[in-house]
Amino acid sequence: MHPVRFYLRSLAVHLRAALEYEADFWILVGAAVLTQLVGLVFIATVFRRVPQVNGWSLWEVLFIFAMLILAQGTGELLAEGCWAIAGLVSTGELDRMLVRPYPVVLQICSSRFGMNAVGNLAVGGILGGAALAHLPVRWTPGHVLLSLVVFACAMLVKVALVVAANATSFWSTSPNNTFAIGMDHLGNLTRYPLSIYWSGLRALLSTAVPFAFVGFFPASFILGHGGIAWLGLLTPVAAGYSVVLTLLVFRLGLRRYESTGH
Amino acid sequence: MTSLRPYVGLALAAWRSVQAYRATFVLGLLMLVFNLLAMLALWQVLLRSRGSLAGFDWPHMKAYLLVVFVANCLVSTYSDYTMAMRIQSGLVALDLTKPLDYQAARFAETLGRVALELLTAGAVTVAAVLAFGGLPLPGPGQLALFVVSLAAVVPLKFLIVYLTGMVCFWTQDYLGVNWARVAVSALLSGTLIPLAFLPGWLRDVAFALPFQGTASAPALLFIGQATGARAVGLVAGQLAWTVALCAGTRWAWRFALRQLTVHGG
Repeated sequence: MHPVRFYLRSLAVHLRAALEYEADFWILVGAAVLTQLVGLVFIATVFRRVPQVNGWSLWEVLFIFAMLILAQGTGELLAEGCWAIAGLVSTGELDRMLVRPYPVVLQICSSRFGMNAVGNLAVGGILGGAALAHLPVRWTPGHVLLSLVVFACAMLVKVALVVAANATSFWSTSPNNTFAIGMDHLGNLTRYPLSIYWSGLRALLSTAVPFAFVGFFPASFILGHGGIAWLGLLTPVAAGYSVVLTLLVFRLGLRRYESTGH
Repeated sequence: MTSLRPYVGLALAAWRSVQAYRATFVLGLLMLVFNLLAMLALWQVLLRSRGSLAGFDWPHMKAYLLVVFVANCLVSTYSDYTMAMRIQSGLVALDLTKPLDYQAARFAETLGRVALELLTAGAVTVAAVLAFGGLPLPGPGQLALFVVSLAAVVPLKFLIVYLTGMVCFWTQDYLGVNWARVAVSALLSGTLIPLAFLPGWLRDVAFALPFQGTASAPALLFIGQATGARAVGLVAGQLAWTVALCAGTRWAWRFALRQLTVHGG
């Protein structure tokens, strides 16, 4: 079987398994929607008192937020399994995957199906659509095409960074993936215009761990926001960098894996 | 009442356990630190140019955010996940065979972790004060009330977390339940934004619920937005909710135990 077919088949199996627990499905979807709504309440509450933050209007900030929600949903859809790495390493369960003739990273990523993706993709899609309807974007065919490319690459940045963050669990003996959760929250910093942060933090978020390319820079390009719009065109570069970084971290991590001695 | 010794033992064991996984523990607080950073940066920009919003100027907002950060660090370390996993795997049956009160035993473990949570949160606060400048300090009476209020966060938040953990007796999955609690409590505890910013009706709802006692109450006391009778009222509210939730969890526990299915092994 081709690795990609294996990956899709594995995802489908885990989707079916997860659907067995109907109540849990609704709890996860509901929790995802609730979490994003709370984020939305924050932004709306702030903008009720101020017209704009460092030159960004309410709907522009909401569009950035929508892209981050969509990226999170994409990550949960395609790579939810990577959150299992800490547990697999800690218990030695990873052994089983090493003996199968498929890329380990694909096996791990497809080993879970994130039901919350349904909630996040729905909320992100609706919010993003509403934001675009409220903003005067000049949609020429060229801009549409480039925006689609930039958007797809932005999603890829997020998926790659989530896997990379979780792959650091190879260096830890604890079954908790607290570092990966921390990285997720570092990414949340890019919900707000990057210019509110100190230069060091800005540089970190746009280069070493390019979370700013998940929402902020791509959104600047798609919306044509001021002088930094062109930076969004670097999103494919950020995506390439993130994927290479992830594969590197994963490979180095896997080399460190020494099972638990059954 | 049996002797306290086994509970002290549990608290010490929990303290040693977080010591063993100290790196994980500190990394676990990382997410709270990142949230704090984002909020400090955002409010600094918003308030520097405008002076004050909803009665908060920059020094008071800074103090509010730091107290909320410390309060959120308390009872934040995987107490609910551990309990959830033991319920789901059936290991809880082993806990039930011990001649201890289940809830008191979990609380003892929580206290063991609170010690390290407080130390870490204190270190971050000192660093933040060095980076962002000093805080307006309350007078001695107000400060004493603040300390009581911060201490009252521990049992109150424990009970909220414990009650959510108990939902696992009914569901297979805990992740969603936990997320839902975190989301609701972020909004209603004043963690997301001071409650004064919310629309009137939502603010009233929030002040009537226990969540505000886990973050907003000590923060309002520290920055002096609640003084005199209102300050005492906030602390009394925290204590009243603690008593009510304690009774509630005991009552719910009887039903929860009937739901427990343990697979043989």
